[in-house]
Amino acid sequence: MPKLTIDGIEVEVEAGLTILQACEKIGIEVPRFCYHERLSIAGNCRMCLVDLERSPKPVVACAMPAADGMIVRTNSEKARKARRGVMEFLLINHPLDCPICDQGGECDLQDQALFYGMDRGRYREARRAVPEKYMGPLIKTYMTRCIHCTRCVRFATEVAGVPEIGAVGRGERMEIITSDNKAFGSELSGNVIDLCPVGALTSGPYSYAARPWELEKTQSIDVLDALGSNIRVDSRGTEVKRVLPRTSEEINEEWISDKTRFAVDGLKRQRIDRPYVRVNGRLRPATWGEAFTAIGRALEGVSGSQIAAIAGDLADCESMLALKDLMEALGSPNLDCRQDGAKLDPSCRAGYLFNSTIAGVLAADACLMIGTNPRIEAPVLNARIRKRWIRAGLPVFQIGPEADLTYPARHIGNDAGLLQAIAGGRHEVAKLLKGVERPMLILGQAALRRPDGAAILALAREIAETLGMMKPDIGWNGFNVLHTAAARVGGLDIGFVPGSGGLDTAGIIAAAGGGEIKVVYLLGADEIDTSGLGSAFVIYQGHHGDAGAHRADVVLPGAAYTEKAATWVNTEGRPQRSNVAVLPPGEAREDWKILRALSEVLGCRLPYDTLRQIAIRLRDVNPIFTETGQVVPAAWGDFGAKGKLDATPFVPAISNFYMTDPISRASVTMAKCTEVFVARRDEERTGTHA
Amino acid sequence: MSIGTRLYTLLRGELVGTDSFGNRYYRSKGRRLHGRERRWVLYKGDAEATTVPAEWSAWLHHTAPQPLMERAAQARSWQKEQHPNRTGTPAAYRPSGSQLRTGVHARTDSDYEPWIPE
Repeated sequence: MPKLTIDGIEVEVEAGLTILQACEKIGIEVPRFCYHERLSIAGNCRMCLVDLERSPKPVVACAMPAADGMIVRTNSEKARKARRGVMEFLLINHPLDCPICDQGGECDLQDQALFYGMDRGRYREARRAVPEKYMGPLIKTYMTRCIHCTRCVRFATEVAGVPEIGAVGRGERMEIITSDNKAFGSELSGNVIDLCPVGALTSGPYSYAARPWELEKTQSIDVLDALGSNIRVDSRGTEVKRVLPRTSEEINEEWISDKTRFAVDGLKRQRIDRPYVRVNGRLRPATWGEAFTAIGRALEGVSGSQIAAIAGDLADCESMLALKDLMEALGSPNLDCRQDGAKLDPSCRAGYLFNSTIAGVLAADACLMIGTNPRIEAPVLNARIRKRWIRAGLPVFQIGPEADLTYPARHIGNDAGLLQAIAGGRHEVAKLLKGVERPMLILGQAALRRPDGAAILALAREIAETLGMMKPDIGWNGFNVLHTAAARVGGLDIGFVPGSGGLDTAGIIAAAGGGEIKVVYLLGADEIDTSGLGSAFVIYQGHHGDAGAHRADVVLPGAAYTEKAATWVNTEGRPQRSNVAVLPPGEAREDWKILRALSEVLGCRLPYDTLRQIAIRLRDVNPIFTETGQVVPAAWGDFGAKGKLDATPFVPAISNFYMTDPISRASVTMAKCTEVFVARRDEERTGTHA
Repeated sequence: MSIGTRLYTLLRGELVGTDSFGNRYYRSKGRRLHGRERRWVLYKGDAEATTVPAEWSAWLHHTAPQPLMERAAQARSWQKEQHPNRTGTPAAYRPSGSQLRTGVHARTDSDYEPWIPE
């Protein structure tokens, strides 16, 4: 291990680290533009020059490997002078438009110019101007500001795996463009906005909307996919202005998907801001008291078994628990959190978790994907799989609809029968999986939503057991279920599933249509067949006027994920808390409070009045809620049910990545993305379009 | 006004004039401060500086040697009537769009769009 001296501090670092990384280790910050710890080293901005003894010239710290006996000075007059020179060159062609630039206040160039910038320019020639580039509806470009750090190019090529951004020309005439001037078609495209050290790539929907210093920053978690990416919600007043990623090595590193980042404008549209009660076939605005009275009247003389509850994809654990307790008090066993009808088995926790953990993907040696397309179901996870593939060439086998995953995957077929062949060891993939140390499988919702979902789940368990995916001695569990809904694991963890003799989602809808179920409580459940609910009295609690609210007889306004302090469990089984960034609009309230208030009107008061009390209740129901942010490994067991397989091919779980839930369906930005990326209407677009 | 001010006005002050609001203006008899006479006002009612009209204000601040009464007499067409500060009263100025003026919240970009059932 090389030992070197940096600013008089002796430090021993692992071989292969660069001088800049060695500096980071001892907390010395070296200015940089092109270097980024999650991207390859380019060394083209030259800002990180340091003074190296016995070297005739300053060296680039980010690209120079640390060697034994080096004596580095990061802050000597020579190093500072060199950086001032580099900065002067960078500023030759950088416009002085900070007052109208969206990067202002969070700009690396602005910050570093404070230390290394000259107080006047010496350049008297003509300055460069670059025509605008079209990068799609999400990324706004201002390419004259570009300093050619190539972070966006490296991100697109390495992390996103969509090598559509590149550079043409050399030297001063170098320009960053997308191939064919098309929109940058990655689900992770928004991350180049964070990566851009200047204001060349800025957020389109957030352009000229706010300044960073006037925003209130709230640490929270994302619920628009099942990964629970750590996010920072930036709000001003009553409005969420933008969402940025928070670094979390276990989940999202520092990336988030475009839906997470850009769907927040949906939080301002189609909001349910007051209770509604259906009078003479039409929904009329009502007070909370009138809405509760209407529910009380509907429940009069209705027995427990005639009541049902379905929880939607965005429901938080607290409200699901309150609804479950309320249903129990009313004597109803009919409740289900699997609104899509997935045949997940709540009896064994390992049977519905992503047991390898997201970070654990980096240890996998082979991957079998069954009915899943992680690129659109969980883009950040897909980036992690791709990272593994880049590091060590992960063999990926795919059963289900053929999809471009951004890394090579062998498509075996789209037929559930293949699973039997693999489980029986007859298929060649079985041998390939068995031959490696840590094989993993990812079971998607497309496989579980089918009528034969339980049989596929049992087969996947068999594959995991027989092909060496279960290796408790080395701490490896390669059985993974990839969820698409943030609420699903939490719902299963608190037991929001049919009680003894209770009906599941399909059963509830059928019984409501048949008239056996009189009252249905929808907790944000919009992705069900609401037309099949017949003449049942429907109570909808949620935040957006989507399918569920249109069918409802009573609408109760709830809070969206940025408006409540609540718990969600991600696909790995990691419980995480969100925080209140803005208040719910109008009369809307936090969801568990609505259920608590309703329980009092119905004469079965729930025994918790504060968030703390409900957190304790949550812990009593399932001890996994004790450790927020931690994954508790789940015990392996028996799950799934053997049965006949269907011959029908798998259909994708998500058809349109940009619109999966009430929030993203209400978002204008997501509608534009759908138009550009899904309907592929950008063919005729050229670089001259704004 | 304090007893001290009253006493000082009685002994040293010379009444110069009275404005339309009833405020009385005084100057010092003989005694000078910083090489000039002292000028002051005794307000009618509460001490409210915005009740001092422009012609008296100029004199009070030594901008004009004499009160500009004759100028005030021939007011220009664009001149507005002097009135005291209305902040805190029902007649206070409310800019257009102010919720206090109309009683309703004018829509802004940061407002949410409520769902209206059909």
